[in-house]
Amino acid sequence: MTEPAPEGALDDLTVLDLSEGVAGAYCGKLLADYGADVIKVERPGTGDPARRHGPFPDGRPHPEKSALFLYLNTNKRGVTLDVAHPRGAAVLRRMVEDADVLIETFRPGYLADLGLGYPALREVNPDLVMTSITAFGQDGPYAGYRSNNLVALALGGQLGMTGSPDREPLKSAGYQAEYQAGLHAFGATLAAVFGARIAEAGQHVDIAMVEVLASVLETAMPYYAYWGKDTGRRRGNIQSAIIGIYPCADGYLGVHAMARNWPALLRLMEREDLAEDPRFKEMRDRVQHNDDLEAIIYEWASRQRKDEVHRRAVELRAPVVAVHTLADLFASPQLRARGYFQDVDHPAAGRLTYPGPPFRMGATPWRAGRAPLLGEHNDEVYLGELGLEPEEYRELRELGVI
Amino acid sequence: MAITNLRLPLEGIRILDLTMVWAGPFATRLLGDMGAEVIKVEAARAWDLLRILGLQPRETPEIWNKSAYFAHNNRNKYACTLDLTHQRGRELLLRLVAASDVVIENYRADVLERLGLGYETLRSARPDIILVSMPAHGATGPEAGGIAYGTHVEQLSGLASLTGYPDDPQPYKSGIAYGDPWAGTTAAAAVLAALLYRRRTGKGQRIEVAHREALTNVIGEYVLAYAMDGRQPPFLGNRHPLHAPHGVYPCAGDDQWVAVACESDEEFRRLCDAIGRPELAEDPRFATEAARLQHQDELDDAVRAWTSGRDHYQAMHQLQAAGVTAGAVLSVPEVHQDPHLRARGFWEPVAHPGFATWDVDGVAWRLSRTPAHIRLPAPRFGEHNDYVFRTLLGLSDEEIIALEREGVIGGEPDLSLHR
Repeated sequence: MTEPAPEGALDDLTVLDLSEGVAGAYCGKLLADYGADVIKVERPGTGDPARRHGPFPDGRPHPEKSALFLYLNTNKRGVTLDVAHPRGAAVLRRMVEDADVLIETFRPGYLADLGLGYPALREVNPDLVMTSITAFGQDGPYAGYRSNNLVALALGGQLGMTGSPDREPLKSAGYQAEYQAGLHAFGATLAAVFGARIAEAGQHVDIAMVEVLASVLETAMPYYAYWGKDTGRRRGNIQSAIIGIYPCADGYLGVHAMARNWPALLRLMEREDLAEDPRFKEMRDRVQHNDDLEAIIYEWASRQRKDEVHRRAVELRAPVVAVHTLADLFASPQLRARGYFQDVDHPAAGRLTYPGPPFRMGATPWRAGRAPLLGEHNDEVYLGELGLEPEEYRELRELGVI
Repeated sequence: MAITNLRLPLEGIRILDLTMVWAGPFATRLLGDMGAEVIKVEAARAWDLLRILGLQPRETPEIWNKSAYFAHNNRNKYACTLDLTHQRGRELLLRLVAASDVVIENYRADVLERLGLGYETLRSARPDIILVSMPAHGATGPEAGGIAYGTHVEQLSGLASLTGYPDDPQPYKSGIAYGDPWAGTTAAAAVLAALLYRRRTGKGQRIEVAHREALTNVIGEYVLAYAMDGRQPPFLGNRHPLHAPHGVYPCAGDDQWVAVACESDEEFRRLCDAIGRPELAEDPRFATEAARLQHQDELDDAVRAWTSGRDHYQAMHQLQAAGVTAGAVLSVPEVHQDPHLRARGFWEPVAHPGFATWDVDGVAWRLSRTPAHIRLPAPRFGEHNDYVFRTLLGLSDEEIIALEREGVIGGEPDLSLHR
């Protein structure tokens, strides 16, 4: 006898994921990993461009082996549909009848031109939550501008704050504007679904990457908005002596010491003598003698090994960590003890290691799973659930709509 | 018929907020924006450090009510004082729990339990309570007791090790404590997932957001790639693995830059026309994506030659008009003044009594039929004690005076805690 699968928090949601790229796919992945039935709707033939992104095993491109696609589409079912074809749009409208959520990342106006804008879909299903994620949002002067992750980082303020002050601003690795927008879209979508206490209370959720980014500029935005002071200029790796990345003997150490962590930092550095040093007694003294302190930490760090410092810092509750490389992540005693990484089998890509849950729910577990093959669930969805006549289904396939 | 007068999604949901600094308060800011009644719980010896981080001089009277940084992360919330190290404080907290839907805390992993306020205790006060804990490393494992702030979390997640310039060996940190808003947004979404489950089943639960685990989600494709080949990839800087050009180019003026990206041959042709170099599109070194990736330095020189005499906004608009992906790298003041965000009404004026009025970022979760706004400025220390203790808990004047006298509620932040 097999155990029934544990309940997921979002088991009762049906989601159509029309997104391409990272932001919408991550939003859909989160919904799927916590239990929603997410149907990834891809264009026939080539599918989601993320299938061509890689990295690939042995560097050989294969639409079913792209790391980016495999990661972002776990636990989704996959169908193909050309929504730009009138017959495809008609099929999508039928799918929307039974959907709770639709996620899309096309340029604003694209779906409306196909008769699939929010007002049109609302006619089909007034309970639908439609979530649109774009760099600039659905309206405003830049709404029609071309965009990507880099441009969103630039206009949202995070790009200009990152990197060395002596050279060009630096993009964070990967697709950080897109990931942030995808996570916010997940939250906003759930809020809209939760808000629909009554019939016909669906909504259009408009997530703009630039707004998401501009919301989290830490102190720089409030200090400017409230005091007119621009404190957001990039400061490289040493924001101040006690907030920064320092090279050590075999890698890098990250230091971030608040006032209450000062004694533990000194213990870690075996420099308790500095506790009585008038240059460093209080936070304001440390700010004033920042360069002296930076030199002391720099010299100390250069003689250290990262794993040793990391381990001792935990013991001493000192505010220093090893900057973890990918090898460090895979070897991390903490992540191993907690079973964070998940090995997942995929029929084409084989067994690979995936990141685990972003949050753990006591009663309704996150689930590991795999991404769908292109069109893998066409028969099941179109014939089984949507009830297309076999004749019509064959015709749509011949037309290249499915 | 369409219903037009919808309530905010979380109206009627009460959240007890025991969090401090950025990650936790950002979670409850998002939930407060969506209409939840968020009650921030502080005490004279356990108050939010952000209250004194705000550029205001130390001598400022009531400095703790005048922090821009605190104000930014705590709008749409109430605040009360309650000393949880005091037996009577814990009793009152449990009475508040009984009247709440969610408790959220970002103490070190063992603190809530040691206060005698663990999940089982909270559950006995409110059987369907949702408890969200946000320990940076998680509550279990050999590093559970370690310190990790937002910058550390970026360094623990793997993201910092992947961010850097191709010609500089060091990993770079973001300009913000990247782990904090990520963990906070994750926690807010987790609350919503748990609320949906509770609505369906009547059951609450406890949730753990380990910041470093949450943030490793943003490098998922690198994790899979490492599982494929076991290699730490080289820093790409502003370049892209598949497309070129893709970079940040200097403009006229000090520290002015524009980001430019081409994601197809057609787009590259448009770029060549726009920068007055149509012949580049025919050059075999640049004719295909694969060729462009091989000759990025030359390509960057050509783009730089065009951008460097131009204003960064002008360069963006001109390239966009030609159908090329481009964006001015905005400073924080420029973000605040940018015409696009202004036209979308993103900024909202907030008045703080006795302090000032500002335009701050509004609500990025834009829901068409229940648009959310800043309803309340950030609370002064203990500002809503009256509401919480008199209205919600029904305490009498005498009881409240006695609690103040015993130091269970009231008082002023002890500034000696953060020097």
